[in-house]
Amino acid sequence: MNEERFYQFSTVTVLALLAFFYGGTYLLTLLIKKKKENTDAFMVSNHQIGFGLGAASMTATWIWAASFYGAATSGYTYGISGPLHYGLWGALMILFIYPFGRRFRKLAPNAHTLGELIHARHGSSSQLILASSNILGSIISLMVNFTASGALVSVLSPLSFQAGVVIAGVGVLSYTLWSGFRASVLTDFAQLMAMMAVAILIIPAVMFALGGPETLSDGMSLLTPEQANLFSMDAILNQGAPFFVAVLAYAIGNQTISQRLFAVREDHIKPTFITATIGYGAIVIGLGMIGLMALMTGMEPIDGDMNNLIPQMVSMYLSPVFIGLFFILVIGSLSSTADSDLSAMSAILMADVYGKNIAKNKPDPTKMLFIGRLTMIVATLIGVVLASFSMDILIMLVFVGALWGAIVFPVIASCFWDRVTNKAFTSAVIAGLVMFCVARFELVPMIGVTAGLFELLAAVGGGVVLGLMAFGFCGRRIGLVFGTLCAIVLAYFCVGFLRDYTVLLASLMAYGVSTIFCIAVSLMSSSKFDFSQIDQKVINYDPTKPATQG
Amino acid sequence: MQTFILALYVLIWPLISLVIFAVIGIATVKDIRIARRDKRELV
Repeated sequence: MNEERFYQFSTVTVLALLAFFYGGTYLLTLLIKKKKENTDAFMVSNHQIGFGLGAASMTATWIWAASFYGAATSGYTYGISGPLHYGLWGALMILFIYPFGRRFRKLAPNAHTLGELIHARHGSSSQLILASSNILGSIISLMVNFTASGALVSVLSPLSFQAGVVIAGVGVLSYTLWSGFRASVLTDFAQLMAMMAVAILIIPAVMFALGGPETLSDGMSLLTPEQANLFSMDAILNQGAPFFVAVLAYAIGNQTISQRLFAVREDHIKPTFITATIGYGAIVIGLGMIGLMALMTGMEPIDGDMNNLIPQMVSMYLSPVFIGLFFILVIGSLSSTADSDLSAMSAILMADVYGKNIAKNKPDPTKMLFIGRLTMIVATLIGVVLASFSMDILIMLVFVGALWGAIVFPVIASCFWDRVTNKAFTSAVIAGLVMFCVARFELVPMIGVTAGLFELLAAVGGGVVLGLMAFGFCGRRIGLVFGTLCAIVLAYFCVGFLRDYTVLLASLMAYGVSTIFCIAVSLMSSSKFDFSQIDQKVINYDPTKPATQG
Repeated sequence: MQTFILALYVLIWPLISLVIFAVIGIATVKDIRIARRDKRELV
């Protein structure tokens, strides 16, 4: 397909590129492979990952194939500010979770998943809410990444979509299966280095192939006033704000991030997160510039599909060598995220399901490793099947996003406030999810008092998001005051206005409603939790594990 | 001036990526040295 519109590799070339990538990655993992792996190392590398590998792994995991396409689409749609509204907020969320991450590590230095911490704090129901949302989120992520592989292979070669899906699935599973998270981190480093090198070359190459900065300057006349405005309200309301709210939830709720948080040496958390923030922002915003350049040259995406923007620009203006590099860039990004998803799911099944709920903190390490590897195989099969048949499960992503949005405040509050109860956690998440659905799918008419009430709840949600950020960096008092002030200001602006932006309204409502429920139900109870219990309950599973970092 | 600003706006990102590339690369070499010195595994 697309022979006359995109550059086409021969079947042999594309298979050679894939064999080079996955074969090289597999060989790399042989450097660390052990006949008998250790369960704690399999899940979090014994909490001993250094700054360089930690930052590389965090960045590579946060970047997936959709990051490039999304940033380019944003640049093409919203103009000058578009790439910033995709990449900047995604980057800031890595930074945002760092202060909370330090708290998580302090409370549970031996944790493998955030669910274990929540289990120690509240018990099984809260833990399993978190674990199930993570499993669902990672399955969707796997499917999306395998789909991206299928699409790329079918666009740039005579191979079929299904062939691309299967090759990515088998390739990722082959190098992750034995050593788990250890393999994921090591290969993330190599994949990120490759991605960065390619991004560093491709962005200026496209610009100069177009005719240099003068062509861009001439292209400014093609932009609408909104697209030419760095502070475009259209871009903020339709791209920046919804994305900001969504990735905040993703950062807190997703095991791929918390797994790295628990794996990095405690004294390296800060530089790791700061470097990953800047690295992610630079790569993703940079590749978003290709979408902006496409807009400035008046290019139309083939078939109106925005996902064609980058392949089209690269095919049109660069030599086959660069197209090959672009191919590696996309395969690297989707593989690094897919292997992280496999590691995340295996850790959840091993620690949250088997370790805590079946073996009751006394697991058999051999059985635990078997469960982890079996999880990877089953998850890959599910991801490949869903992607191969192009099943429309993206609607589930809406629910996962909502669930994670509703989880953010209860999780953070549970780690700082001793009065939050299991009942408060669970009811807050359920209430947030229900109200999200009511708003998102407009189950009640969005008019009059109802719409006004929803907008007020969304304003509370906005205050919660901004207040939590202030709380993370400046402390409880400033966070509380700032969050309250933001909620009041937002209420003034939101009422009568936000009802037209359903996605943003519903997302913010998930935050607002879950926060109100969490606080209200917690205040009804007088019990106080002793945080020192968490460290006692969250343990290492493998007796052969070396001493952890002090 | 507009041409210069636009070029800077596009090219600053690969430049920052290059800096981070170097930072992560150097830090990882250090990680490898420390792991060897302490006789423990890198990951």
